[in-house]
Amino acid sequence: MTAWHCASALENVWEGAPLAVMVDGQAVALYRFGDQVHAVGDLCPHQKDVKLSDGYLDGETIECPMHQSCFSVKTGKVQSPPAREDIPVFKVRIEDGNVMVEV
Amino acid sequence: MTTDTLLDIPPPAPATDTIKPVSTWQLRRWPETRDTSIPAWIYSDPSLFAREMEVFYDGPGWSFVGLECEVDLPGAFKRSWIGQRPVIMVHGEDGAINVLENRCAHRGSMLCWENKGVVKDFTCPYHHWNYDLQGNLLGLPFFRGAMGKGGMPRDFQKSEHGLRKLRVATLGGIVWATFSDQAPSLEDYLGEEIHGLVWRATGSGKKKLRLLGYNRQLLPCNWKLYLENSRDPYHATLLHSFFLTFGLLRTDTAFKAVPTIGGRHAIMASTYSAATAGQQNEVTKQLASLKTDFTLEDMEVVKPVDEMGDSSMINFSVLPSVFFQQHGNSLALRHLIPKSVSETELSWTHYGFVNDDEDMNRRRLKQANLMGPAGYVAIDDSEVLAKMQPVAESAPESVQVVTMGGTGHVPQDTMLTETLIRGFYSYYREKMGL
Repeated sequence: MTAWHCASALENVWEGAPLAVMVDGQAVALYRFGDQVHAVGDLCPHQKDVKLSDGYLDGETIECPMHQSCFSVKTGKVQSPPAREDIPVFKVRIEDGNVMVEV
Repeated sequence: MTTDTLLDIPPPAPATDTIKPVSTWQLRRWPETRDTSIPAWIYSDPSLFAREMEVFYDGPGWSFVGLECEVDLPGAFKRSWIGQRPVIMVHGEDGAINVLENRCAHRGSMLCWENKGVVKDFTCPYHHWNYDLQGNLLGLPFFRGAMGKGGMPRDFQKSEHGLRKLRVATLGGIVWATFSDQAPSLEDYLGEEIHGLVWRATGSGKKKLRLLGYNRQLLPCNWKLYLENSRDPYHATLLHSFFLTFGLLRTDTAFKAVPTIGGRHAIMASTYSAATAGQQNEVTKQLASLKTDFTLEDMEVVKPVDEMGDSSMINFSVLPSVFFQQHGNSLALRHLIPKSVSETELSWTHYGFVNDDEDMNRRRLKQANLMGPAGYVAIDDSEVLAKMQPVAESAPESVQVVTMGGTGHVPQDTMLTETLIRGFYSYYREKMGL
């Protein structure tokens, strides 16, 4: 079952810097590109104990700080090992200055 | 006044060409009766041991690592050792078997701590450096530092910091590896006779190996004492009263002791008859260690069937690290792992074949009771060698004599010979420069 949750105020999500939030008990990272915000799972699927949002963001690619696996923050696709699985992508809508995420 | 006394120590003299460091083993001299004498210091000199590890385990030879069937799917791994150096045998995603040094490329800590398992990659417990199944460095924590501080230099190349990857060869389902670029092919290293016997012991290309189990034991003795023991048919009917009592090895049967490649490897082949197994004869009855009135609750333990079709039990020792055992229907590889000058691990891998029927499987398991740390036969060797090591250490200048069967190291057709030991030490002295 999915539901929409308020993840953050839009003004707290900055371009070029991931924002780690907890949404309904799940670690989610928000990435802002202009007026758009993308929400993806924040735990690296390799060892599942590291937040990708602590890593290095280069354009649309986030690099895990642990072993440098890279993921697209728009599609969730894994781009380099050691991780082999994609990260989940969540639907986002902006409502009254808030970032709403469907989890 | 300073309390830092280190400052008062003069710097070491610069090295010159005329002074070279000398290890104590280089001052040793083998006794004059070279071919038939063994000096006791070879079992206790740590500098000699260090040199042996370089020459025989790091050098241009091939070492046993494990069986292919132990790592039969991608990511399956087993830890092993080549001399004192830990390695990982792992089935790669491309199907090839890789042998990697079990040493993190970062600080040299042991990477893999488990004996067996299935993984997608390897992560070092110390700083979490991560490697793929071929040993390539995939990632390391805080590569770019954190909060703008720390991290690796810009010119750090992960591709230059993988695990050490060994040369690997397989033969008959057995995996071998070498640290050396100079080693000849495995076939050439084994030589024609040993190559043929490995083939025979592993089903001649018609069968697939099946793992039956393991034994491990720590022998409190130098590795060469065990290696000699496995090349010494003379002791077999004397020390091992179990063999005699149940007619498994008899001094009156045809026997061959064959050193190969100048003593590098050694073959011991005996014939037996399924008809006389479990019986004694007149020659053996005269030996004092024979107990004629002993029997077993289950005589299948000492009644093999002729599975190879040649009425032979062929055991052979492949330098530096493995002994192929065929005792009755008990097949095993004894892996010799030196731990220090006075400690050696012996790791037994018992195997059979995929298509063995239930009777053969039961026979193999029952007859394996002769071997291993508490084996009816093998326990004698462990005990003798444990008692021998401290005697060797107590009198390093003492000398052993190995003249049974002559002074050379040619093949002989008797058990009453030390030709294989003489052959080994001829080869050993040549490689060690002693």
